[in-house]
Amino acid sequence: MSGFLQILIGGLLQGGVFAVLALGYSLVFRVTNVVNLSQGAFSVLGAMGMYYFAAIFGWPTLPAALAAVACATLFSLLVGLISFVPAVLRLPNSSTLVLTAGLLTFFVGVTLVVWGNQPYALAPFSGNEPLVVGSLRIPTQGLWLAGVSAAIIWGLWLLLHKTMLGCALRACADNPTAARLMGINLPRMMLLSFGLAALIGSASGILVAPLMSLQFDSGQFFTISGFIAVAIGGIGSFAGSVAGGLLLGTAEQFAAFYVSSLFASTLALLLLIVVLIVRPTGLFPSGPQRRSDVREDPRVHRKLIRLSARREVTLAIVLVALFAVLPALPLPPGVLSTLVIAFILFIAVLGLDVLMGYAGQVSLGQAGFMAVGGYAAGILCTSYGWSPLLGTLAALGISVACALCLALATERLRGLYLALATLAFGLLIDSLAGNLVDLTGGPSGLVGIPAFALFGFEFSSPVQMYYLVLAFAVVLVGALEGAMRSGFGRALKAVRTDQLAAAALGVNVGRVKIAAVCISAALASLSGSLYAFNFHFLSPEMVSTGRSFEMIAMLVLGGEGTLIGSMFGSIFITMLPTLMQDLAVLKTAAEGALLVFTFLIMPEGLFGRLVLVLNRFAPQKPTIVPVGASQ
Amino acid sequence: MTSIALEGIRLSKNFGGLNAIENVSFAVRAGSLSALIGPNGAGKTTLFNMVTNVFPASSGEIWFFGKNLARLAPHQIAVSGLIRTFQSARVFPGMTALENVIAGAYIHLRSNILSQMLWSARSRREERRLVAKAEALLDMVGLAAFRDVAATELPMGGQKLLEIMRALMAKPRMLLLDEPAAGLNDSETAELAALLVAIRDSGVTILVVEHNMSLVMGIADDVIVMDAGTIMTSGAPSEIQRDPRVIEAYIGGKSGVTHA
Repeated sequence: MSGFLQILIGGLLQGGVFAVLALGYSLVFRVTNVVNLSQGAFSVLGAMGMYYFAAIFGWPTLPAALAAVACATLFSLLVGLISFVPAVLRLPNSSTLVLTAGLLTFFVGVTLVVWGNQPYALAPFSGNEPLVVGSLRIPTQGLWLAGVSAAIIWGLWLLLHKTMLGCALRACADNPTAARLMGINLPRMMLLSFGLAALIGSASGILVAPLMSLQFDSGQFFTISGFIAVAIGGIGSFAGSVAGGLLLGTAEQFAAFYVSSLFASTLALLLLIVVLIVRPTGLFPSGPQRRSDVREDPRVHRKLIRLSARREVTLAIVLVALFAVLPALPLPPGVLSTLVIAFILFIAVLGLDVLMGYAGQVSLGQAGFMAVGGYAAGILCTSYGWSPLLGTLAALGISVACALCLALATERLRGLYLALATLAFGLLIDSLAGNLVDLTGGPSGLVGIPAFALFGFEFSSPVQMYYLVLAFAVVLVGALEGAMRSGFGRALKAVRTDQLAAAALGVNVGRVKIAAVCISAALASLSGSLYAFNFHFLSPEMVSTGRSFEMIAMLVLGGEGTLIGSMFGSIFITMLPTLMQDLAVLKTAAEGALLVFTFLIMPEGLFGRLVLVLNRFAPQKPTIVPVGASQ
Repeated sequence: MTSIALEGIRLSKNFGGLNAIENVSFAVRAGSLSALIGPNGAGKTTLFNMVTNVFPASSGEIWFFGKNLARLAPHQIAVSGLIRTFQSARVFPGMTALENVIAGAYIHLRSNILSQMLWSARSRREERRLVAKAEALLDMVGLAAFRDVAATELPMGGQKLLEIMRALMAKPRMLLLDEPAAGLNDSETAELAALLVAIRDSGVTILVVEHNMSLVMGIADDVIVMDAGTIMTSGAPSEIQRDPRVIEAYIGGKSGVTHA
């Protein structure tokens, strides 16, 4: 019995952290309708501040904590002011969701710069002696955590329901336009909610830091745990956030004790996926559901940026010729191997473009399919002696089957919830790859994967691999371009912008989306297999959720809905560490910042910018004739 | 006796206790240009949404050329030949005017995704044929010059016409047009009237929701009048114009005058 109680206490303590994280999500969602994936990073920022004020400067606990919260909140407010608020005002929700993933990457990168990759632990506020009640041992830090969490929850409830400011915050969520007409300063309210979320996030980070060691990428862990908690409880609902957090914490502790500590997070993700499928709005849905049959706001609509048909052909020939002769040029060492990686990732990003750029469905789990492709091919070729080609094809089949299951299970889900389901899928694959040690080699990776071979020819040198992936890229871009400029591509674009109008023309919206999901998974799988064959090795972090976010950055930077654009993005981001060799530690932060700023100042991407430049040199034949100025 | 294109039998729709449509029965003759009129809130657009199963009817049956539409999804209804447009023109942003019209041919595409990916001769031939057909349709309504313009950059009247051309590209047996003249000026309205008559004469049945009485009375073969979720009356335009209940609903009876 006392064992049970001990686990329950542990679960509630952990759940308290999740609950506060979940509250941060709900708070921002209530005001902006955006799931802020950078939520977990606030906790690490807070803990990092605490480390400096308490451990380095030697301040007493309370002033150090207050100073740390203040610094973390101010920094977050600054970041929110220049990125988050303009994004919510200008971009469609799906882009803002992706932008917050970029913010998370940015914050993780900043932590990496400051802290390096060492783990840090803070001293408990009231010493290491646990409080002993009968046979139960309760760490005193847990009491601090429970007390402050309860105070935060109560304070937020008072703020939102008992003050004029809270009323204004809630109005912004329910009807932003009407709220503005009533004189509410919408941008200020958005910034306020972002700042409040940073405040409670950093406070929870300071409280939890003595209980677990933190390092630069703990922000991802917090984001994911808080996200699972809030998705189970119901996004936007405060009661749901608290319940979801406590439920998740206790469920994980019990699973760790009674099943296996390795699978605690896997089970939590399965719980999340079941909740998303059965009850997508969570256990405690908040208020009336928004209409989902209305189109996204007109701010989604962008200008058409296209090349004329002849220039498209010319550009294609120039690019193919350039890449074909590249290995013959005197290149610095390593460039070719880096390009191989870039092209392998490009194949996966192409799939992401079909799904996100054309069909408009946000996927945060593309690396999950890469993992399925890489591990399935790797295992079949090492343990079962299959040929690489057969292994790749079998892996492709498995990935498409997974994608089909995911797509069918989540068919009712739209927009936000679909994105969340793909994130859950990616995380589930992450945790399976790390935990199924007998099958995948666990965190230390799967070794001894052979080189890719076709009909007896082995692609073992970088040059051979380079031409192989280049050939794949050319064929795939050609094939997808053919589909995208014909009926299938039009159906995808129609579904992206107006599902109701698409259905009224006979487009089976569900089926078209499922097709896009499967194509995207197939390409990711192929990319994952090639990745494994290229390195002769595969470890979970090579195809983790961080990779999913990185591929989104590649897509957005290159230009969504252009196919070839993502090649520019893939090459640029893969080359980034090589370009700034001495500053390689900045890579993660730079990647996050790039994603965020591409969305804000160059939504057409690198390729779109290139097209704009090229079109400037053809004033006699503009692709877009302004209304009324045509012949 | 002419056949019936679209028939609704005792249709009702309630939204959480509010009866938007109550026990409505109507029939549209095949080959006719029929109009559905009525004051705001009479339930005209709701009726369209029920017919195309955007919101399923709470009760009643809908028959389209002898086919029961009740269990069909919106896209299956389109496949059966009933194509609708929307009250606010819903052209696809991110596509040119030409691509928007071609998008209407979706249900008639014969090349599948695989042959599109392989750039097969058949799929390229089909694309060229669709482009030619869409260009002809754009030309018909004077939008040929805007073929490569982003559809959302067209003026409202152009978008409305584009939406009708997109619907025609689907080779419908019947068109449901929701307020095609809203937002058009007088000369555009006259062009629209001629266009609708031409479409009717080509053998396509049309049911049009419209507020513009002169347009309706000038071109409609039959008129159905709705008020407060029920059918008030239906018949030839000349009969409708003389019906005292219609005059009261539109021009205003005793109660109407005091409120005006």
